[in-house]
Amino acid sequence: MSKELIRLRDLTMEFDGERILDSINLYINDHEFLTLLGPSGCGKTTTLRIIGGFLNPTSGTVTFDGEIINDVPPYKRQINTVFQRYALFPHLNVFDNIAFGLRVAKLPAEEVTERVNRMLEVVSLKGYGHRHINSLSGGQQQRVAIARALVNEPKVLLLDEPLGALDLRLRKDMQIELKRIQQAMGITFVYVTHDQEEALSMSDTVVVMDKGRIQQIGKPEDIYNEPKNAFVADFIGESNILDGVMLSDYKVRFFGRTFQCVDKGFAPNESVDVVIRPEDIDIVAPEEGHLVGVVTSVTFKGLNYDIIVEFKGFKWLIQTTDYHGEGATIGIRLNPEDIHIMHKSEYSGMFGDYSSYSAEYDELTEDAEDEEE
Amino acid sequence: MKKTNRILTILIFIFLYIPMAVLIVASFNTGKDITNFEGFTLNQYAELFRDEDLLRLLGNSVLIALLATGVSVAFGTVAAVGIHSLKPKMRKVVMSLTNIPMTNPDIVTGVSLSLLFVFVGSGMLGQRESLNFWTLLIAHVTFGLPYVILNVMPKLQQMDGSLTDAAMDLGCTPVQAFFKVILYEILPGIVSGGIMTFTMSLDDFVISYFVTGSQFVTLPVEIYTYTKKPIQNKVYAMFTLLFLLIFVLMVAMNLLQLRAGRKRETMRSVSRGGIIFRRCVAGLVAACLLVGCGFLIFGNKQERITLNVKNWGMNMADGSDGTLDIVKAFEEKYPHIKVNMSYYESNEALYSQLSNGGITVDVIIPSDYMIDRMIQSNMLLELNFDNIENFKYVDEQFKNPAYDPENKYSVPYTWGTVGILYNTKHVDEADLTGWDLLWNEDYAGKILMIDNSRDAFGIAQYLLGYSINTTDKAELDACAQKLAEQKPLVQQYVMDQIYTIMENEEAWIAPYYAGDCMLMMEENEDLAFFLPQEQGFNLFTDAMCIPTCCQEKEAAELFINFLTDPEISGANMDYICYGSPISAAREHMEDYLATSEIVYPSEEVLAKGTAYAYLSEEITRYVEGLYQEATKLNAFG
Repeated sequence: MSKELIRLRDLTMEFDGERILDSINLYINDHEFLTLLGPSGCGKTTTLRIIGGFLNPTSGTVTFDGEIINDVPPYKRQINTVFQRYALFPHLNVFDNIAFGLRVAKLPAEEVTERVNRMLEVVSLKGYGHRHINSLSGGQQQRVAIARALVNEPKVLLLDEPLGALDLRLRKDMQIELKRIQQAMGITFVYVTHDQEEALSMSDTVVVMDKGRIQQIGKPEDIYNEPKNAFVADFIGESNILDGVMLSDYKVRFFGRTFQCVDKGFAPNESVDVVIRPEDIDIVAPEEGHLVGVVTSVTFKGLNYDIIVEFKGFKWLIQTTDYHGEGATIGIRLNPEDIHIMHKSEYSGMFGDYSSYSAEYDELTEDAEDEEE
Repeated sequence: MKKTNRILTILIFIFLYIPMAVLIVASFNTGKDITNFEGFTLNQYAELFRDEDLLRLLGNSVLIALLATGVSVAFGTVAAVGIHSLKPKMRKVVMSLTNIPMTNPDIVTGVSLSLLFVFVGSGMLGQRESLNFWTLLIAHVTFGLPYVILNVMPKLQQMDGSLTDAAMDLGCTPVQAFFKVILYEILPGIVSGGIMTFTMSLDDFVISYFVTGSQFVTLPVEIYTYTKKPIQNKVYAMFTLLFLLIFVLMVAMNLLQLRAGRKRETMRSVSRGGIIFRRCVAGLVAACLLVGCGFLIFGNKQERITLNVKNWGMNMADGSDGTLDIVKAFEEKYPHIKVNMSYYESNEALYSQLSNGGITVDVIIPSDYMIDRMIQSNMLLELNFDNIENFKYVDEQFKNPAYDPENKYSVPYTWGTVGILYNTKHVDEADLTGWDLLWNEDYAGKILMIDNSRDAFGIAQYLLGYSINTTDKAELDACAQKLAEQKPLVQQYVMDQIYTIMENEEAWIAPYYAGDCMLMMEENEDLAFFLPQEQGFNLFTDAMCIPTCCQEKEAAELFINFLTDPEISGANMDYICYGSPISAAREHMEDYLATSEIVYPSEEVLAKGTAYAYLSEEITRYVEGLYQEATKLNAFG
């Protein structure tokens, strides 16, 4: 196990009386790839800026390598940042941008040249040194920004939605590239994103945030398979969330039926949220199913179909590779490991109902929003 | 539609640029007259570069403009960065506060600054001369700062805020971040703010006028006192050069911005040109500042005494038209003294300038009644006649005059009469009956009236047969009534502007001082002088005095002594065309002047002239009030 490098203790941040961060407690290990994941306004960027030293928390401490660094200005921290829109210096070319930090540190010119050239190779931009930064594509600018930060050999690299401005294809390539660089250089990455797929595929640890609070910390698989509350379940992937009652360990009742599950440790007859992932549901013939419903809509997604199935007035999203037409009656089976039980939370009842889900409906709301703007 | 637009654009351009075109053409004109182009010459330019005074004034203006620009740019940029870091609400408040001085009328700014400087300088620091180089510089910075802030702010707002974070992230302290990154981003704003400040400072008159002392005068302020004579052609040459300078600066700046813009859009490969150019501009500005500071320090280290003389315009020989350059001759004789000339338009203007305070003046040359008033107001110093031995040459009849009965405060400089200048082409000799010529309706609209209460009332008093020194309010009211009757006939109330108007025959009749009339008659042969002997006329004396704000009394007395030398006085009269109070001076004057009846009227004529005496402060105010009412205010009524 790597040693702990950064610890945030009871971090609280307020702007104009509005609470942006609410007692954040978090530790980050050396060499770890940690992602702060959440919707916009959840406080993830604020957390990152506090680690970088650009903001002072209202209360709480930031510890780096055992020392409290609240009052250490950014230019004295062994931390570098890749900014959201890169923040490259427009008056300098690629080489000079990357050399900026080394020159501020007054390193000898030969060493600067050597390190910059090596870094240009790392980010696959060999021979681009003389180029003006405005003549580069978004992906190239991105790599310059990463090189400019990494060339200083920081202990921690902070990345604030670094891939947000890139198109999907490039984003996928860069994800792999970033992971490769992180592993090759053995640097701690603290990564901020609102893209759950990005978070899951790259991180060692994912921190899910909402409303200034940490909702869950864990490995990507744990976050996905064992969401702590309705918010996490909904934000990470798609989920059908139902009201249920935990009859006893391993026994949950919902939709008037009792199912076997793998969860335990709840109070007898505790009201719970039941999470069923759309891809875990097996479709069977109606007579073989635990539940029987009617398909109300079908959307082709490439890999699979998203179908909405109505069970007793409640609509579920089911992902299936087999086509079931609208109006078809189907049965489903739920295995114990497909059912995940969560305690009730403030998010209960807010997510996981697909009653209003339809492709047409999505388009309509988008149009309406356009008109409002 | 497109065509109309194009034509309109062209018309607007013509409208905007035609005055400059006329000026440029005039600067190459061989003829003295602007109205016809007689031939091409570069003489005006050559003359310009030979004219040390003009170049010194231009130097002053450029120096102030450069320093004001430097200071404004430095402080304005820092202020803009500070304002930018405020919260949006606060930022808005501060920005509107900084914008107010820009929209504030210049005259308000000027007067309030002047008040402040005199209050702080004279009142709190006890300076004798509170208006000086530094006050002028502070004033120019005051109006330059908002322009810099206004130009830099948008650049800061456009700038990606994370650039600063990025610089600090890479090890820059906030100061380093500013100089290594932010400065480059906001440089276009700084440059355009700087250029704006420079051009505004270079030609500022209104604010400068109120905060200029006698030591350091800028070109626009000096040009304003040139109203007496039409502006000389070399001044056109100078303005042409100034215009071209600004023009080139503006074009360069625009090209720079255009190139920068293009570079952002389509840059394919490296171009360091822009950066190098920017660095050059920054370097140039820095160099100018250094030179300016050096000049300033060097310029301030004067080993010579500066003698500040305040005189009427065109009232001392300056070497033009083959006359003696009196100031130069004096400075050659006394190399440790440097004479600094400034001017006033009327006795009343001089009085108010001196009583406003904040300036240093060593020698003044007011007229008789004003000397009396100044003596009574304790504004003059007693002279040490041991230093003015040439006083012995002054004719007895000019010693111990009524305005200075014990002759303690003044040495006479010139004397003369007030009569009527008229144009023989347009005015019938038969109408020359007396002062009533100025009320002759046949010449309505072609009459100029002298624009000061004392001379105007004097004329009315001669016409109505009152004493010119009457204190009877009923008589004064009658005079005011007379002047009010004249108003519809009067084209303009003027002092020094009379020269241009009469020489160009825009008006035909004007009462004025005999010596000035002689000068105008030299320029236009159709002009003649008429002295209404029957009704009486004013015989005035201008005399040299030392005001209480004097700092170099001994040098001032040396100067007065020098001017009282018969040879110098004679040479001086050749230029100003007045009578010298020194008989011996007549031998040194040109014959036509020494024998002129206008300059030296016969004894019997002189006997009909009378001199103004100082009336009480109350009557002076009363007359001034009546005069304003009769001539100015009813213009709106």
